[in-house]
Amino acid sequence: MSRTAYLLLLAVFLAPAVIIYSTFSIYPLLATIFNSFYDRQDDGTSLFVGLSNFTTLLSDPTWSAPFWNAFRNNCLFFLIHMCVQNPIGLVLAALLSLPRLNLRATYRTLIFMPTMLSVVVIGFSWQLILSPLWGVAKMFLSFFGLGFLFGPWLGEESTALLTISLISVWQFVGIPMILIYTALLAIPDELIDAATVDGLNQFQAFIWVKLPLILPTLGLVSVLTFVNNFNAFDLIYAMKGALAGPNFSADIMGTLFYRVFFGNQLQLGDTSMGSAIATMMFLIILTGVMIYLFVIQRRMHRYSF
Amino acid sequence: MRKPASAIAVHAILGLYTVLALFPIVLVVMNSFKAKRAIFNTPLQPPMPWNFDPIGYAKVFGDSAITSYYLNSLVVTTGTIFMTLLFGAMAAWALTEYKFRWNTLLALYLSIGIMVPIRLGSVAIIQLVSDLNMINTLSALVLVYTAQSLPLSIFILSEFIAQIPKDLREAGRCDGLTEFHIFFYIVLPLIRPAMATVAVFTMIPVWNDLWFPLLLAPTNGKQTITLGVQQFLGQYITDWNAVLAALSTAIIPVLILYVIFSRQLIRGLTSGAVK
Amino acid sequence: MAEVLIDKLCKSYGSAEILKDIDLKVEDGSFVVLVGPSGCGKSTLLRCIAGLEPISAGGMTIGGRQVKNLPPAKREIAMVFQSYALYPHMDVKGNMAFGLRFAGTPKAEIEARVAEAARILQLEPLLKRRPRELSGGQRQRVAIGRAIVRKPQVFLFDEPLSNLDAALRINTRVEIAKLHKLLNATIVYVTHDQVEAMTLADKIVVMNKGRIEQAGKPLDLYYKPANLFVAGFIGSPAMNFLEGHVTGSGRVEAAGSGLTLRLPSSCKPGDKVTLGVRPEHMNLGAAPGPLLQAQVDLIERLGETGYAHLRLPTGQVVISEVRGEPGHVTGDSISVGFDPVRCHIFDAAGRRIE
Ligand SMILES: Nc1ncnc2c1ncn2[C@@H]1O[C@H](COP(=O)(O)OP(=O)(O)OP(=O)(O)O)[C@@H](O)[C@H]1O
Ligand SMILES: [Mg+2]
Repeated sequence: MSRTAYLLLLAVFLAPAVIIYSTFSIYPLLATIFNSFYDRQDDGTSLFVGLSNFTTLLSDPTWSAPFWNAFRNNCLFFLIHMCVQNPIGLVLAALLSLPRLNLRATYRTLIFMPTMLSVVVIGFSWQLILSPLWGVAKMFLSFFGLGFLFGPWLGEESTALLTISLISVWQFVGIPMILIYTALLAIPDELIDAATVDGLNQFQAFIWVKLPLILPTLGLVSVLTFVNNFNAFDLIYAMKGALAGPNFSADIMGTLFYRVFFGNQLQLGDTSMGSAIATMMFLIILTGVMIYLFVIQRRMHRYSF
Repeated sequence: MRKPASAIAVHAILGLYTVLALFPIVLVVMNSFKAKRAIFNTPLQPPMPWNFDPIGYAKVFGDSAITSYYLNSLVVTTGTIFMTLLFGAMAAWALTEYKFRWNTLLALYLSIGIMVPIRLGSVAIIQLVSDLNMINTLSALVLVYTAQSLPLSIFILSEFIAQIPKDLREAGRCDGLTEFHIFFYIVLPLIRPAMATVAVFTMIPVWNDLWFPLLLAPTNGKQTITLGVQQFLGQYITDWNAVLAALSTAIIPVLILYVIFSRQLIRGLTSGAVK
Repeated sequence: MAEVLIDKLCKSYGSAEILKDIDLKVEDGSFVVLVGPSGCGKSTLLRCIAGLEPISAGGMTIGGRQVKNLPPAKREIAMVFQSYALYPHMDVKGNMAFGLRFAGTPKAEIEARVAEAARILQLEPLLKRRPRELSGGQRQRVAIGRAIVRKPQVFLFDEPLSNLDAALRINTRVEIAKLHKLLNATIVYVTHDQVEAMTLADKIVVMNKGRIEQAGKPLDLYYKPANLFVAGFIGSPAMNFLEGHVTGSGRVEAAGSGLTLRLPSSCKPGDKVTLGVRPEHMNLGAAPGPLLQAQVDLIERLGETGYAHLRLPTGQVVISEVRGEPGHVTGDSISVGFDPVRCHIFDAAGRRIE
């Protein structure tokens, strides 16, 4: 094959994917970062302003207060997922991968089901269930004698974010569960037999043999959680709208970005500041991914069996 | 599970969690078929002849363009799957089969999108789409979703293509097949299982997405079902029958599809390691 | 060391009976090899001894102690797995010490035992390496080391050499034989390899479809197979079988010709019998016994010896060993003979007739 023909062949195979991906993914990303260094004037022209959008965002109180609020909430959102979603996922995966378990496939399928549904649908369904108007949640709690615990959790500043986070945990626990479950299945049975002969019970074998072997997967699950959490939007928007709860108590980066960029009842849309926030989100996510790639992943060995 | 006591404990935990996972879904679907009074008075009771009332569904399908929203979602999802599979497989094949100078670099470039969400470029995407006069069109959604889905599918498909024995492709070349024939008649049929997995991975986030329909096609009857339901819920917020029915219309088709394809899906997710 | 006594052991998975009425005695300090076709239940029996599989019925004692309801760790056994099953995240030393740590063995004692095992197996320079940094043979030695440090009453091996290449397999086989002498250990060993079985075993147990067909000294099985299955299984290439029937006292009609053999008095004319002759006991040309007419189908040369595939007038093909340079080529008509003393006779039910 001649060199030209070879290059032509490569072009035909690669061009469609590269063009679509570059145009609708990489270019917008770069353009957004680029935008964040400009200020859009009322006449439609743009003016280069250097880092001033960022200094405004981080130091001007009208901008920095919501930004830091959203950032703090987002960190909390992530923390709750790490401390609740991933441990539950781990436990469920560990139980599902036990040898000789009946109904394994049924449990797996059913527990994964919420993950399949739209966040909008899930958010709204929970909103109904938790609504004092319907009172299902209260009825349920009363059944266990815990009725006094019930409150308008979604409506109160102190509990809105926690409640929404737990709903998100409820929906997405299937993802860590399946990823960890897969990693556990890949561990050969003979290795567990060897541990049994060495005198370990199922629980000890899990802690001392399986857990160390799935550390790379736990690392992956953590970084996926991080990326998804700092990119989240749908659930909060669906449940609380763009204003994100009583007095912005459930505001996270995604909703802040949406509000700033599109504007709302309280303010006009602002392309430049929207871009600046998106760029900050990009930097945060990039930092997380880099920490994973260069610090966490480097330290961990992937074992092939 | 040798000791019955520990087996019971395991089933108790898994069973309880399963109930927790299903309860809200079942509750919503169940009550969507009931009369308003029954929804509030006996929410835990399944629909029965005496409390049955499909008024919510009548509202959903009567007042709004839900059916056309379904169609929109269907068009967007199938369009995205088709483009993602075809272009993704082509790129994956070129990247794994042919050696050229910027091969690794290009692979790296294409994998940025796995970790960096495309949403962060939304500002520029809107400008781009409006410059192209594609606001409120389904094609804009298809293109954006294809760009979003390509990185992961190229990654997965490459792994599978790399596993096709080299001999098979060489045999094709000896038989005088062109590279295009090899791709379409040897490679594509062999990676069909992987394509099914990629199709599912592509489909779920696209079908369920709220963000891009909200940004790119929010009005003019071009809404997808997810956005349509969201807007419908906003309008009828106090009409519980309508709200529950709207939620169920969004849930039920996905549930049916899921139950049919769950084996393939989980097998895809667990890369064939299902026991 | 201890003896293992298995008494009427049965094992089923659901409705599938995998092991039926297994009675077996493994003498103290002896080397017992389990052989049999794939899927006959060898691994399952070994795992039952280890306690990794609960048994459905029957009993088992190790060193006089009933172990039926004991977990593996309490049975004082050690197992070497086919895939070695080394813990990938621990170094060689960690792998060997792991079980002892969980048994609460004092640190000094662990050190001493690991050091001793490492010395015996020449693993000293490798103690700090991870399993993936070891060759197949070295991993194999670590797996054995992990068993040795436990100072078990019984060693269990499941096809430990099947992942090694031919040369290493022979070496390791010799090492295992030496180790057996050195430790004076009781060993139960599963293999597919006849040579391994014949060279290592004090006692070979031939299994088929979940039952024990015969257990005995290697040469007893070779010279006096109890039934057709064992006769066909032990020896390579397999024994030739000729269907026939008794025609008169001491005479058998088989393979289209009448043969005179020494038959026990219990055989009556008309009885169906099967004659078994090993390829190595057949001779082309003249022989001190009965002769059969045959045509040469194919000659396989392996060097000094070889095998001739011979077609009898009945169409059946038998294999005969040939030594030196045979003058025959495919298509030649020849006569082949065998020593009647070396001929095995089985009755209609497949049992050996003495
Ligand atoms: N967990 C199980 N459930 C059901 N049947 C099983 C199970 N494990 C093994 N078997 C069956 O038990 C029989 C014996 O298996 P086993 O592994 O003991 O054979 P084996 O003699 O070791 O064979 P090989 O030489 O191939 O290793 C086989 O027919 C197998 O299909
Ligand atoms: Mg086996």
